[in-house]
This record gives sequence, C-alpha cells and structure tokens, in this order.
Amino acid sequence: MDKIVFLFEYLLQGLGVTIGVTLIALALGFALGTSAAVMRVYGSRFASACAAAYSTIVRAVPVVVIIFILFLVIAKFIDLSPFLAGALALGFASGAYQSEIFRGALLSVPTGQMKAARAIGLSRFKAIRFIIMPQALRLAIPAWSNEATLVLKDSTLVYVIGVPEILRQAQYVSARTLQPFLAYGAAAAIYLTLVFLLTRVLHTVERNYRLML
Amino acid sequence: MKRWTLVVIAAVILGTLLGACAPAAKPALKVGTSADYPPYESKDDKGNYVGFDMDLIREVGKRIGRDIQIVDMGFDGLIAAVQEGKVDAVIAAMQATDARKEKVDFSVPYHFVQDAFLVSANSNVTLKSAKDAAAYKVGVQTGTIQEKWIVDNLVKPGLMKDENVFRYERADNAALDLQAGRIDTVLIISDAAQKLAKDMGLKVALTTTETVSAGQAIALPKGSALKAEIDQALTDMQKDGTIAKLQQQYGLQ
Repeated sequence: MDKIVFLFEYLLQGLGVTIGVTLIALALGFALGTSAAVMRVYGSRFASACAAAYSTIVRAVPVVVIIFILFLVIAKFIDLSPFLAGALALGFASGAYQSEIFRGALLSVPTGQMKAARAIGLSRFKAIRFIIMPQALRLAIPAWSNEATLVLKDSTLVYVIGVPEILRQAQYVSARTLQPFLAYGAAAAIYLTLVFLLTRVLHTVERNYRLML
Repeated sequence: MKRWTLVVIAAVILGTLLGACAPAAKPALKVGTSADYPPYESKDDKGNYVGFDMDLIREVGKRIGRDIQIVDMGFDGLIAAVQEGKVDAVIAAMQATDARKEKVDFSVPYHFVQDAFLVSANSNVTLKSAKDAAAYKVGVQTGTIQEKWIVDNLVKPGLMKDENVFRYERADNAALDLQAGRIDTVLIISDAAQKLAKDMGLKVALTTTETVSAGQAIALPKGSALKAEIDQALTDMQKDGTIAKLQQQYGLQ
C-alpha cells in the first residue's frame, strides 16, 4: 500500500508540468484557431488560403515532428526551454484543429446575422467581433471540449525533448522497478481523473452558455 | 486589439534580449541523457539521476571544474540535441560509431562493452554466433547500434526478413515481449541484459563482441572546445582506477 501511495506521489511530480503544458497549448491553440478560422471564413482570398494551408499542413504532420522542429530548429534562434518549446509546439498543432472547430462554428451562425449587423451600421470587423464571434464561440463549446481532452493526452508527447510530465515519470519508475503495469496503470488513473475533471468543468460551461439556434 | 499585439511582441522581444544577456560566468555543463537505462542511467525514487554514466560525468565535471546539469530526453533526440547545441554533451551508454561520428565528435571511449542475446527462461533457442539470430524474431531498441547491426548484417544481405525485426522504444518493453513469447530473443548491451535477466527471470543465450563496433564515449558538438579537457579527465580516471571502481560498483564488465 505504501508503495502505491509513493508511486502516485512520484508520478504527481509531473502533474504541474502536464497541466502547464496543456493550458499553454490550449490558450495558444485558441488564439491561433480563432484567428485562422476568421481569416478562413471572412478574410480576403489570400488570407483564407494562408489559413487553409496552415490547417492542412499542420494537421498532416505528426505532433512529435512539430515538437522536434520547434525545439531543435526554431530554438536555434530563440532559446526556448524544453517546457516552453513543447507547450508552444502542441499549441501550434492544436491551433490547426481548433481552426476547423471554429470554422464550423462560424459557418453555422446564420448569414442573416451578418447582414443585419452590417445594416445597422457596424463595420465588418465589429460585426465579427460583437455579433458573430460570441455566438460562434458558444456553438463551438462541445467540439472544443473534445479537443481539450485530446490536447491533455497529447501533452504526453513532450517527453521526447525531456519535459518531465506524468508519462515520463512513469517511464522512470517502469525502468527502475521493471513493473510497467503498475507504473503505467497509475499514470492511466491520473489521466483518467484529469480528463474526468476537465470534461466536468467544460460540461458546466457548456450548460451555462449553450446556444440553440 | 492592435495595442495588445504590440504589447505581446514587445514582451517577446524583451524576454529574448534578457535571456540572451544573462551572465555567462562558467555556467553548469548541460549534459543530455536518456534516464531509462539502468545501470547506466536512471532516476531513483527521490528523483535523482543515478547510474554508472551519471557518476562518471559528475567526476569528469569535478576534474574540469564545471558543475554538471543533467538534461533528460528520449534517446532518439540526443544526437540532434547536441548538434543543435541544446546540450553541451551527451552521456547515454552511447557507442561512438562511424555513422554518429559524422554528426558529432566523441571523447575517448570510457567503457568497452559486449552485447548479449536474451531469451526467455524456458527457451530452446541456441545461438553459436550472432548471425544465427537470423532464424528468429529479434527484438532491438530503436535507434541503437544493435538495431543497425541486425539490419546491416542480417536483413540487408537477405539472411533475415525485416518483419522479424521488432523495434522497441525501450529495452524493458522488449524484455516484456520476450517474456510474453511474442519474440524469440532480444539483442542488447550485455550489462543491461544481465540486469534484465536477473530482474525478470530471463536468461542470456550468447554474449558476444561480434556486434560491437566501438566503445562508449561522450558525444560533443563538432569542434567542441571541451573535447581536450574531457579526454584528459577520462584518461586520468582510466589510469587512477576511478573508472574501474565505478564499473565494479555498478556490476559492469
């Protein structure tokens, strides 16, 4: 029993890192995703093409490769810590997926909304900012919740550049004790708890802000 | 909206400048490793990096007057990390092979190894030479010299089908599959094989130097100014018996 308690304590040293990486990645992904989605739907032909290229290319490249590229290539010019490089790479990848979520949400806001906003004299930018976006964001909540859990699990990938998150801690234990089922089982239990809590929070958000169109 | 963008850009630039101007008074030597390979390198239950390589590099650090900061990452990423200067050196039971020498410089070797073929306890696999492994399903660790040997000497000449080479991220995963009977044998470094055999009830079918092409050495960026100092420290440690003592401490040959 003591051994199990100790094991969880050991793995939970990675908890802060996992949560930190996930939050940074989700925030960056949100910023990139909403911008790319607006460019895609309302931007000029050029802006739209750029956003489409970002989404297509990044979704086609494995996340591990993006992490390596950011850590080893970009970090030549800016000295990023492994933690930051991993979090930003995940955010960059998530942004592509989130842009598709928000694009879908933007497209499901009825076109009449834009016309009405323009008719009462709002500029295009203001119409998107104050009329379309608030509705689209609320429509996007269910799909975004799903993406949030995926990013949480993808945060395990940053171990390749040496960020000691929960899975890497489990690998240390497994290599040391040669009891992989115990180590990975405990890690799985922690991830299950995290995903459970995350979905509960997002579910509450969804219930309070849901929009029926 | 615009103001925010400016603030963010300013913050990033400022951060970069501050980072670049940090004082550079003999900073700790950043040494990369992959801490999942006992007895060479692993993390103990208090989170300290321990093992033969770890003690060795700390002793080297003492002798060249630099603090050692261990940076852990996956084995696959180590060569790239040292090439790109993310770490100053790598010590990870890494053999100084010709292929790796094209990418990085190596110190003088500090440890010579043998490889071993692990089999399960009740296995009837018999190996007289490493080439006999061609008839079996062989597990190896991805990106290791052992994998390369199997591919170059057995698969490429057509003695063995590539689908019979099973590649694992980590040695203990390969050993588990061996235990489960999914593969017939695992080719790894002899020291690690001995430890896995003891801990997991496996046995060693063959110990050989046939598959070994080079000693283990510390990897450094091309043209690193540290090479002379580190070589000197390693040579001294070889002479005064420090390395032999460490080998004994960790049960290495």
